Amino acid sequence: MPAQHLTTKRGNGMKTMMTRSLLALSLAGLSLTGLTATGAQAQEATFVMTARLVGAPTYNPTKATKLNTATTLIFDRLVVQDADQSFHGQLASSWEASPDGMQWTFKLKPGVKFHNGEPFNARTIEWWVPQFKGTENAFTVEAIERVEVVDDLTVRFHMKHPDPNLLFNLATSFMCIPEPKSYTALGDKFGVTEAIGTGPYKMQQFSVGQQTVLVRNDDYAWASDLSANRGPAKFKKLTFREIAEESTAYLELKTGGADMLVNVPTDFLPRIQADKAVKLVTLPGNELVYMPINTSVEPFTDVKLREATAFAVNQKEILTSLYGGNGAAADTFLISSLKESQVEPKYKISYDPERSKKLFDAAGWKAGPDGIRVKDGKRLEVKLWTQNGTEFKRLVEIVQAQLKAVGMQADISIIDAGSINAQYRKKTEHQLAIRSYQWTNADIVDWFFAAKRAGYPNVSMFNDPEAERLNDIAMNKSKTWEERVANFTRYHEYVLSQYAFAPIYQPAQSLAYGKRIVLPQVIRGTGLYGPTMLDIAPAN
Amino acid sequence: MLQFAIRRLAMLVPVFLAVSLVIFMIIHLVPGDPLEHLIQVGSSPEQRAQMIARYGLDQPLLVQYGRWLAKVVTGDLGDAIVMRQPVARLIAENMPHSLALGGAALIFSTTVGIVTGVLAASFRDSLFDRAVMGFILLGSTLPSFWLALLMILMFAVQFEWFPVSGARSWDALVLPALTIGIGGTALIARVTRAAMIEIAGRDFVRVLHAKGLPFWRIQLRHVLQHAMLPVMTILGLRIGWILGGAVTVEYVFARPGLGSLLITALGQRDYPLVQGCLLMLAIAVMLGTLLGDLAQAALDPRLREAMGAR
Repeated sequence: MPAQHLTTKRGNGMKTMMTRSLLALSLAGLSLTGLTATGAQAQEATFVMTARLVGAPTYNPTKATKLNTATTLIFDRLVVQDADQSFHGQLASSWEASPDGMQWTFKLKPGVKFHNGEPFNARTIEWWVPQFKGTENAFTVEAIERVEVVDDLTVRFHMKHPDPNLLFNLATSFMCIPEPKSYTALGDKFGVTEAIGTGPYKMQQFSVGQQTVLVRNDDYAWASDLSANRGPAKFKKLTFREIAEESTAYLELKTGGADMLVNVPTDFLPRIQADKAVKLVTLPGNELVYMPINTSVEPFTDVKLREATAFAVNQKEILTSLYGGNGAAADTFLISSLKESQVEPKYKISYDPERSKKLFDAAGWKAGPDGIRVKDGKRLEVKLWTQNGTEFKRLVEIVQAQLKAVGMQADISIIDAGSINAQYRKKTEHQLAIRSYQWTNADIVDWFFAAKRAGYPNVSMFNDPEAERLNDIAMNKSKTWEERVANFTRYHEYVLSQYAFAPIYQPAQSLAYGKRIVLPQVIRGTGLYGPTMLDIAPAN
Repeated sequence: MLQFAIRRLAMLVPVFLAVSLVIFMIIHLVPGDPLEHLIQVGSSPEQRAQMIARYGLDQPLLVQYGRWLAKVVTGDLGDAIVMRQPVARLIAENMPHSLALGGAALIFSTTVGIVTGVLAASFRDSLFDRAVMGFILLGSTLPSFWLALLMILMFAVQFEWFPVSGARSWDALVLPALTIGIGGTALIARVTRAAMIEIAGRDFVRVLHAKGLPFWRIQLRHVLQHAMLPVMTILGLRIGWILGGAVTVEYVFARPGLGSLLITALGQRDYPLVQGCLLMLAIAVMLGTLLGDLAQAALDPRLREAMGAR
């Protein structure tokens, strides 16, 4: 997952209130007749990827830092992850870790072939793992010392050190497996002019930032158990269009120019819900919106002030007023599908204005005549940053009002998304910020709170010896997945207890689709990926 | 004329060097860097430092500029850091779309602008003049993203005459070209109208009228020819603008093009790509201006004489 996804750009500079207003007014005035008969044929479907999925420059999974939905249709992985974070074999039929975590043995499915007819086997894995060396994705195989080919369908990883996170890494899109001969022959053009994998679709055409056309792999017969359909896909041809402007993407769906809108923007949800021609599906979210608190600058060097501030944020009000109840109020730093998010209730951070006010009072910050607290003649005024984008702007204004309700004056600064991380790196310029991340692993706590990354991504400037100790245990001393979960839960709980941030909101993933396609009853996986796409069918 | 052209071309060299320096410095002095888009969760600060060194971003800016310029003069624009492709290839893929859109918009705005300007000047101060010029002015003042959405809602959603977005067929060009073209029409129409009125008041035109030549013949064969001089200048300047000025329209209509590429590159702080795109646009403006000057010189011998070329 690239950093771009972590600093998720919720909204866009060009997506203005005026645009939305025009769209709403104009749609109300126009007699839309729903989906038209023209457009994709029954055996073809067009999907539209919006803002954050736009702009993947290549389908080379090994070297890319940004990939999109089509990647998991062209390529397969050894394992895939379900929404409950469990792992399922895709090209691996089974796997086993040694008790000391120093060896992982994978059994591979027989009869798997790449799009060009080349066989997939243990030799492929032996060639594939070293390809990551020197790339930005090298971290995914960093713990693997060497790969042993046990037999044609059995491969063993000998580890430098135990890595209970190995399955998670193997399930990421970056660990989709390319075909060795074409990968070597094409060099930098692999993934741009051609992309050959074992997936249910073959890449027919790719135009960066515009569209990817896929045609069905009729030989496909090795789907994971996340798909009900284990054979070839039901659509002969899929087109993935990239449309950054969300209003345009929505209108393509409305007019039948597209069959599905992947990742519906939250502020379009009410309009889509009211539209009978369009159906909406909601999946568990993998994003979290939060407010980091800079622990290195006054007044937030005092943990009690941080606690008071954290408890002043009314998550449920934000969920209702800004997001229309879609998604969930956040009360920890992790998305709720992660086991490490299940902390003891005393560590959860939920709106409690009385607790907030008492803490401010106890710290000597008393309400002044205008309601803003004062201590030793100094008013409780802080800086509140966020990046540009309609949704962030709305959210930061609500948080500003909530902080004012407990006596804190927050002055808002809206900073260009491309510049804000550089501003955080100045370390002492910011006090509070509104931001979000998208990630499905508890190691995100390390990413955002480890002292060695102070400034950015550790926007909270959190540097605490006990946290560092727990971080080291969680990151480096866990031998099994269960041990890792327990260690990260403890680390997570400690960070929560220090109020280095306030959790705000956990968006749901929403997909909108038209009448020409049928989605499975249950969507498996952590989002709309290959396994689900195999089960999507034409409506007739 | 050849000497004039050579002299004008030679003048572009220092301009090119100055522009390249400004382009390079501006993007490097803006906060942020492309590594934000390459760093993966779990990577250490040391790995970030290694990446900075790998892309040569740890070198002094002037050294980086020198290396880039040395490559540029040999025709190598380098590789995009985030996009992972040669900058020249990315520009080459997007340029035809920009040329098609910009060309169509330019043809529309020039044709409609000149015709409207001639008619407005010919019926000066009439209701027609005021209505047409007012309507065009209104169209040109609408924000392009707003006008683009209005076009989509009217002609793609309501009437279903054109596709909502994309660049997959010729008809997908119509709405974006109109959106951009309307903006330029007002300028060309106003310049044409003003020039026509100014020329129409000159002695030689009065003489032509006194000789009894038909009104429209005078307007089209004599007045318009002279009125084209300032229009040529505007058209020359607009060539560069139209290539890079379609950012919003490309974005709303989900079309590829230099503008979209530049915006993506700016958001990612992809230095080589930003520099490459801006350089291309700067070159387009310079060549557009040159073409405008050459066209003016071809039409007006006094200009050639003023430049010392006989």
